Amino acid sequence: MTVHDNIDNFLVADLHGELTAAERNELETHLLDCAACRQAHQETKIMNQLFEEKLEKPDVAFEQRMLGAFRNRVPEKNRTVTNFIVGLMRFRSAQIAGVAAVLLALVQVGRLITNSTEAERVIVTGSNIPTAEEARPQNLVAGGRKGAPAPLAGIWKDQANEGRESDELSALAKVPAQPALPDSGATSASGFGGSLEASATRQSPASTAPSFHEETVLPAKAKAQTEVAPPPAPVEANRKLIRNAKIELEITRFDDAVEKITAFANEERGYIATSGSQKQANGKLRGEVVVKVLPENLDRFLRKVRGLGELKNQTIGTEDVTKAYFDTDSRLKNARVMEQRLIDMLKAKTGKVSDLLQVEKELGRVREEIEKMQGELKYWDSQVQFATVTIALAEKDLEEPAAFLLKERAQLALYSPEVEKIYNDIKALASPKVQITNAQLDRDNSGRVSARVSMLIVPEEGDVVIGRVKSFGRVENFQVQTERVAQGGQGMAENAKTKRDKVELNISLSRDEQEQAFQQTSLRIRTWSVDEKTKELRNLTEKQNGRVRSSWFSRDPNGHELANVSLRVPMKNYSALMQSMDSLGKVENVSVQRQDRTGAQIDEANAPADLSIRVYSQGNIVSSDSGLIATLRRTIAQGVGAIMWSLRMIAVALAFFAPWVIALIGVIWISKRMMRARSKS
Amino acid sequence: MMDANERETYRAAIHGDREAFEMIIRTHSRTLFAIAYGILQNREEAEDAVQDALVKAWKSRWRVRNPEKFPAWLAMIARHRARDVFRKRRTVPLPNEATGSLTGETNRNTNTSDELLDRQLHSALATLPELHRSALMLRYFEEMDYQTIENTLGLTNGALRGILGRALATMRKQLKPALAAFERL
Repeated sequence: MTVHDNIDNFLVADLHGELTAAERNELETHLLDCAACRQAHQETKIMNQLFEEKLEKPDVAFEQRMLGAFRNRVPEKNRTVTNFIVGLMRFRSAQIAGVAAVLLALVQVGRLITNSTEAERVIVTGSNIPTAEEARPQNLVAGGRKGAPAPLAGIWKDQANEGRESDELSALAKVPAQPALPDSGATSASGFGGSLEASATRQSPASTAPSFHEETVLPAKAKAQTEVAPPPAPVEANRKLIRNAKIELEITRFDDAVEKITAFANEERGYIATSGSQKQANGKLRGEVVVKVLPENLDRFLRKVRGLGELKNQTIGTEDVTKAYFDTDSRLKNARVMEQRLIDMLKAKTGKVSDLLQVEKELGRVREEIEKMQGELKYWDSQVQFATVTIALAEKDLEEPAAFLLKERAQLALYSPEVEKIYNDIKALASPKVQITNAQLDRDNSGRVSARVSMLIVPEEGDVVIGRVKSFGRVENFQVQTERVAQGGQGMAENAKTKRDKVELNISLSRDEQEQAFQQTSLRIRTWSVDEKTKELRNLTEKQNGRVRSSWFSRDPNGHELANVSLRVPMKNYSALMQSMDSLGKVENVSVQRQDRTGAQIDEANAPADLSIRVYSQGNIVSSDSGLIATLRRTIAQGVGAIMWSLRMIAVALAFFAPWVIALIGVIWISKRMMRARSKS
Repeated sequence: MMDANERETYRAAIHGDREAFEMIIRTHSRTLFAIAYGILQNREEAEDAVQDALVKAWKSRWRVRNPEKFPAWLAMIARHRARDVFRKRRTVPLPNEATGSLTGETNRNTNTSDELLDRQLHSALATLPELHRSALMLRYFEEMDYQTIENTLGLTNGALRGILGRALATMRKQLKPALAAFERL
């Protein structure tokens, strides 16, 4: 690399004073030789000078301006908090934690959103109701046409009573416009009477309802009706409607109610048709009143009656007999014409006698028919003229009991060595005052004997007899149950008498062995000579009045000897036996379980206590699988087991953390990529 | 290498020490200005770019993990900011007013050869590559020694010498007539 080739670089560096001494020498020698380079040197010098003079350098206040601008644009605010956060964000761990927090927050937000959308869905389903309600008036119109609004009333129960009224109004207003009239007989009615008054039709949907039992709806219904058609307009003369109603009421006093009903009936220009009452066992009355009122006053009357007491049930029905009535009426007219003609025939007295007889007979039949039809019409007239209201009345507290019966039931479990003897003793107690209702003695093939006796004792003798039975053996589990049985009703009654009934006594007899131990003890005795000590244990038990129930002995190849002895002693000797146990060897693992039977009378001193004793020796202390190799094998096996376990734990931990770590790495990677992309752009 | 004191200042600035950061503004803003000016060739714009860069640096200072790289990082931000400004200026076509005033000024000021020289100098500078311009600016604005320029721009000594040499050579060849006039002044 010669100076000449790089003359520009050398010249500039020279002017900038960045050449080393050797380089400067080299340059100077070259400049002496080369004219072109001298020329370049000259020009570069001028250029350098130009730059130094001409370039507009920042003025002295530049730094101050920069600082001022910076302070302006980044005001010093809540330094500590931001500093702390910014300082935190410099650490990787903090960044990771931040990302994790953001992820968690996202998850929470997601859950929140899903929850809220569910809630919204619920709201949406809830808001379906108005849409269904919009459809309701149509339903009501259809229902009104069929004359059966009852199912609708059931569906729409308490919903928006006001809405109901307005709906009904609109629905009812639509009814007259329908060519088909509300009732089944309406078609013929229209033929008879031409167009019906709107008021009559308006009334019909409610009144023609065959039956509806919705008590909750009724007041609303009635209210609606009062507003729709204030006083029920008189039914058109041409229409024959039979109205009847049934009401069940609960009232406080029967006589008062009947009196008031009579008054109401008079007010509404009706009368009491029949009235009947019946006295119940507890002195309360139940009865039925049948009232006849004018149909147009029926609704008002019902409303009054309802106020008398608690409404239990109500049925209102309307029967339209218009068609049948007028059919009968026209047939009657025909029959009258026929009758007249027959009479005329008789008057003319022409023809044979047999013919006359025939005419006479026919006349009789026609007259009979006429009477029948007249009767029918009269009945209908009376029915139409008055509506029938059947009021069933029941006084409150009808269910109050008249008397109580005190029943005593006792249960007794007896344990004794001689079941049969006691069984016979108990049976001997039988007398007119003590009835043995059931007695049985069981002996199964393993020789166990048990017996059961049930008896009925007159109340006065109850305690005496039970005391005698108790003295026969060891009493276990004595229970007395007293029951007050109400007669003639349920619930409370202050004045009802209480009578004592016979005492029922159930006795179960069993032998001692079958008795469950009052206390159970298990313990271990370590000793060197198991066989010998077991024998000693047997002796001790017999000394303490106990019995060995079972024993079992074993010896394994390693020299372990083992004996299980289970024995039973009376409770009073229990502690003595336990103390003598120490002489046998080292007593270990004593556990005592006691069943406290509450509510039972127990003869504690004689109650049996079970002991289950395990007598054992340690055998050969040095076991066969000992020695260096066996120990090593065991150690290695245990070590491997531990390693496998920890490996499994690590795998579980990995499986748990992996998705999170992957998500974190992904987020960090993406954010880095985004940052890089932004800085590149 | 960076001395311990300087290092400590950078570290403190990164941790949010405002005073340390202001100290860095005092010592480094000229460098940043030189870089921005090299790109933008306009005082006001360059100053704005430097301001923006400083604010941005303050806000995202936590991203710098190694305090030693702080100056280089600052320079990078300033360069990006200046380029952004430059690009935006490029995309907006020069308004008529600007060109008009330019020609007007030219007409008015042709008689002063000083203004003419200035103009020629700038247009010649504009033809240089950006890196060359930056190197020139650092040298002539800051009167930096080569070592510092190398550090700031991330160049080797040889490369810097070559750049400066070539830059000056290009410039003097382009401005040959003007230079003659200048010499005469």
